[in-house]
Amino acid sequence: MLLEAKGSWAEAEKAYSSLLEDNPLDQAIHKRRVAMAKAQGNISVAIEWLNKYLEIFMADHDAWRELADIYLSLQMYKQAAFCYEELLLSHPTVPLYHLTYADVLYTLGGLENLQTAKKYYASTIDLTRGKNTRALLGICLCTSAIAQLSKGRSKEDKESPELQSLAAKVLEKEYKQRAADKLGLVTSALRSLKI
Amino acid sequence: MVAELKYEISQNAYIKLVLHALKHKTTAVNGILLGRVNPQNDSVVEIADSVPLFHSNLALLPSLEIALIMIEEHYGSKGLGIVGYFHANERFDDAELGIVAKNIGDHICRYFPQAAIFLLDNKKLEALPMGKDQSPVMQLYIRDASKNWKLAGPDGGSRLVIKEPAANAVLSDYISSEKWQDVVDFDDHLDDIKKSIQGVELSQLAHFRGFECVFELMGEVA
Repeated sequence: MLLEAKGSWAEAEKAYSSLLEDNPLDQAIHKRRVAMAKAQGNISVAIEWLNKYLEIFMADHDAWRELADIYLSLQMYKQAAFCYEELLLSHPTVPLYHLTYADVLYTLGGLENLQTAKKYYASTIDLTRGKNTRALLGICLCTSAIAQLSKGRSKEDKESPELQSLAAKVLEKEYKQRAADKLGLVTSALRSLKI
Repeated sequence: MVAELKYEISQNAYIKLVLHALKHKTTAVNGILLGRVNPQNDSVVEIADSVPLFHSNLALLPSLEIALIMIEEHYGSKGLGIVGYFHANERFDDAELGIVAKNIGDHICRYFPQAAIFLLDNKKLEALPMGKDQSPVMQLYIRDASKNWKLAGPDGGSRLVIKEPAANAVLSDYISSEKWQDVVDFDDHLDDIKKSIQGVELSQLAHFRGFECVFELMGEVA
């Protein structure tokens, strides 16, 4: 690691490779190699090695998150969604994963993704007992995006507008209580989302 | 086709963005530039203020959309619009304009065709305390006729200047006093809505320190 910090990448790589020969299952060293690749800007190499690492050590949730982050920075949303799906499978009660997965789905877009995103925002709110501002805003955004996409498709109208108005109400109440100077902004933002 | 434009950023907006990047050294950060075209000279775009946006998950849409709605609403009432985008890369030696930055820039261009992207120049930032360089520690990117983002060269064409010449001195001062801890971005606000993004205290202090630094500089020159 000292070699890494000094920037002598080739020597650090040699050191790590020899350490791995002695102990091929050393997680920390695998991850240091990925970190080195990323630090040098070799993103594709970093992705390749991280994927290989995760094939062996599937339970490393930090690694899944790191991989998801890398995919997001390259706008590879489908792959990032896959990472978050793995995380959700292994840690179904962590609200952060629900929230970020919903964000990724929303960014991907398309009616089905938006509807699923809405469900995950709702589960985030469930897990955080209504306190998560991002999830509440997510519900409002999803509902308005779904409404825009399904204009003219009458069967979609049975989507409950109650969820959006409930989320909006909670948001306004929160802002009123804790950040009253911003309330006007939020109210008009919500209004613009209701089409 | 964008004619040669001069982008003039106010000290307050400039410092806020750089301090935000310094607060989150290990991740990419971004921000929105607010301003307007100079009413007396339409080849000058004045950037009067900036809003630091995120330090995590910059590529995700929902928070960006909400941020843009709220920012437009807030600044619209002050006569300012979104005129550009600021981005700082995660890695020190990464001087490329990434795909996320380009996409957000494209989006802003739809509403303000002369929009620019400012990319933090890490090497210049590192050299800041040592020199007396008054040029901004950012690179200017503008869209050419084929809608590609190009670096604005020093040989002509569009350029970026800071309105107050002593801004870098003030910035160095803030860096050494670790003022970046006071910067609150949109991510912080979404995590805890009590935190306000405006950073008024920063701008008021900047005003006063600006004068002191000018005197310091003048003293050295004389």
